[in-house]
Amino acid sequence: MALPMTPEGPQAQATGEELQQALIADLDSGFADMVHAYEGVVYAVAMRLSRRPADAEDLSAEAFLHAYRALRGYDAQRISTLALRPWLLTILRNITRNAARDAVRRPDPPPAFEPAEQPTTARSVEQQVEQRDVARELGVVLAALPEIQRTAVVLRHVVGLPTSEVAKVLGCPDGTAKSHIWRGLRRLRALLTEQPDSSLLASGRTVR
Amino acid sequence: MMINDLDSVDLHWVEAALAGLSAPAAPKLTGRIFGSWLAAPSRLGEVFVAFTGDGVQFLRSAESVRGDAGAFVEAYRDRFGRPLRQADQAPAGLLTALRGTPPASLRLDLCGLSDFERDVLTATCRIPAGQTRPYGWIAREAGRPRAVRAVGSVLGRNPLPLLIPCHRVIRADGRLGDYMFGPAHKAELLRAEQVNIDELAALPGGDDPAEPAECG
Repeated sequence: MALPMTPEGPQAQATGEELQQALIADLDSGFADMVHAYEGVVYAVAMRLSRRPADAEDLSAEAFLHAYRALRGYDAQRISTLALRPWLLTILRNITRNAARDAVRRPDPPPAFEPAEQPTTARSVEQQVEQRDVARELGVVLAALPEIQRTAVVLRHVVGLPTSEVAKVLGCPDGTAKSHIWRGLRRLRALLTEQPDSSLLASGRTVR
Repeated sequence: MMINDLDSVDLHWVEAALAGLSAPAAPKLTGRIFGSWLAAPSRLGEVFVAFTGDGVQFLRSAESVRGDAGAFVEAYRDRFGRPLRQADQAPAGLLTALRGTPPASLRLDLCGLSDFERDVLTATCRIPAGQTRPYGWIAREAGRPRAVRAVGSVLGRNPLPLLIPCHRVIRADGRLGDYMFGPAHKAELLRAEQVNIDELAALPGGDDPAEPAECG
């Protein structure tokens, strides 16, 4: 069950400065390096943020094109101060939100359950439900979180961004980002454990 | 914010499950994001051509950018807002199309154009080699018979001259009219397609000598 956490996230951040230099030296070839460095994280986040995972590839490509168009208007000074990964993910988040807004003019699904559960319930479910089932259900229940909590949780715990970068993407102070992450986690736990007989869990076990 | 110890322990399995969510391997996005370009021989001499996975997108003669591939690439980026990389290989059908053989399978990427622009370019594609049509014919085909000037502007910005044969669109009085690479090249291309330019120009003005009855 215990999976190693990756508190520092992917190594891409280590090359952020090199990427900035590459972009300044030659935008198109630097941009190719940037796509290579970040397409994995951008796609992984898009998979979890978009309402339709099939759209993840389109959204990712669109986010990179937006980034490219912005970079064309930036001078070296501006590029050198850009935190590339959170900047890219901010663009992705905006595109995803706009796409969701445009595509389906219907409200978010109602926030189903308020968390108020006993730890023992959680443990028993933890034992009962296999890891793969949890993963399957997570995909479903993530979509039920308010957008900001879903984004916070996905960035922090699915792709392992440091909280400071999560805060940059959300455009809020670190403490607020932590709070969104924590609330998101609690709500996820509630959704996964509060109603073990709900169709949610049942379908998680039986439906592929 | 109050995160007590019980909560931290208790949320750990959720965190672990989230960390274990495996995204399918990311698709290679580079091909979706970058356009490709190459230089190729054509009836207009060397041309620079850009294309995406959806088809050929942009063509300019080397002469029109004074042989500077960088200027072509920059024009592409300005127009399409997309990075370009040099291609190793031409898309199927491109090289024969550039030599003048009508392409059987060449795909054109006309994304980002208005409906009218697309209609104008599509109508232009229907003019067979060896024939010409006046701007008014294109305007009618595009469903806006009075938009003759607008047709001229669209063709003046034709992203794919040669492949979309805007050189076959001429004035109603039989004169050749403008061409983005200069009227001399227009005449040269039409002559090579066995169009009798002198005969066209000798015809009475205002008529539409090139418009066959069956067109449309």
